[in-house]
Amino acid sequence: MQDLVILPSINFTEVFNTNKGAIYQSDSENCWYIDFAGKLARFDYRNLLKLKKAVYQIDIENLLLNSTKAPDLEIIFICACDHCYVLSILEIIALKELLQGTFVMLELNHIIFDRLHRIVA
Amino acid sequence: MKDIIRAKCLLSSDVETLINQQIKKEAHSSAIYLSMASWCNRNGYDFSSDYFFKQAEEERMHQLKFYKYILDMGGTAISPDITNIKIEYNSFREVFEEALDQEISVTQSIKNIAARCHKEQDYVTLEFLNWFFREQREEEYKARRALELFDVIGEEGTGRWQIDKHVGQIKYESEA
Ligand SMILES: [Fe+2]
Ligand SMILES: [Fe+2]
Repeated sequence: MQDLVILPSINFTEVFNTNKGAIYQSDSENCWYIDFAGKLARFDYRNLLKLKKAVYQIDIENLLLNSTKAPDLEIIFICACDHCYVLSILEIIALKELLQGTFVMLELNHIIFDRLHRIVA
Repeated sequence: MKDIIRAKCLLSSDVETLINQQIKKEAHSSAIYLSMASWCNRNGYDFSSDYFFKQAEEERMHQLKFYKYILDMGGTAISPDITNIKIEYNSFREVFEEALDQEISVTQSIKNIAARCHKEQDYVTLEFLNWFFREQREEEYKARRALELFDVIGEEGTGRWQIDKHVGQIKYESEA
């Protein structure tokens, strides 16, 4: 028998990128792919919001000032989501920047949608 | 690129957070009223105890109304944990003073949500909030009337007994 590898035809649109990573949206799957910390992880709407909340909640200033804490690692675990990140402070800052940029772009996309397709001028 | 977030949820995350805070506030109110009902009952103020039992139920209903609204809008409603409900009050009058304070704080907090909605042009939530503004008009009226009984009747002699009797009769029947 022959092994047939069928590659799904997924269209990715890049939402935002930094030199540390990128976030893509898949319209056909209604989800996002996050390319960060050496892996590509899929997030649906709920999980993306949970990730945003988890990352935004981290007190970066406190992590930087707190010198007693031996490992400078933070584990980002999201309930009912397959992915988990173990990140250093620098990576957390980078992920936060990536997410912030992404949500600004998504908001912009929403405004453009309103203007072009939804609001009768 | 699709506008996925808008398709999933009609609420902005800011408004959703504010409404979740309001859910906690209503749950807190309900717990406070329940505690007041207990205090009044223990101290022989039966009508006031009934009045606060009813208030506690109403607050629970408000909580659920906000809760279901978030869910209807595609958001995440959060069940709040309520702690630090006081058990003792210094006087009969203090109970009603705190009841009024509580209602004022609820009204102010709903006004704050509405202000945010205006800013975001979230007319859907504004329309939903209108029900609560009417309700708060009634709630503050009743709480104020109850407190006024202490001045009108006076606490001397059988005053508190009279006040308690009248608390059960407070109604808001405005046509306005
Ligand atoms: Fe209420
Ligand atoms: Fe109330």
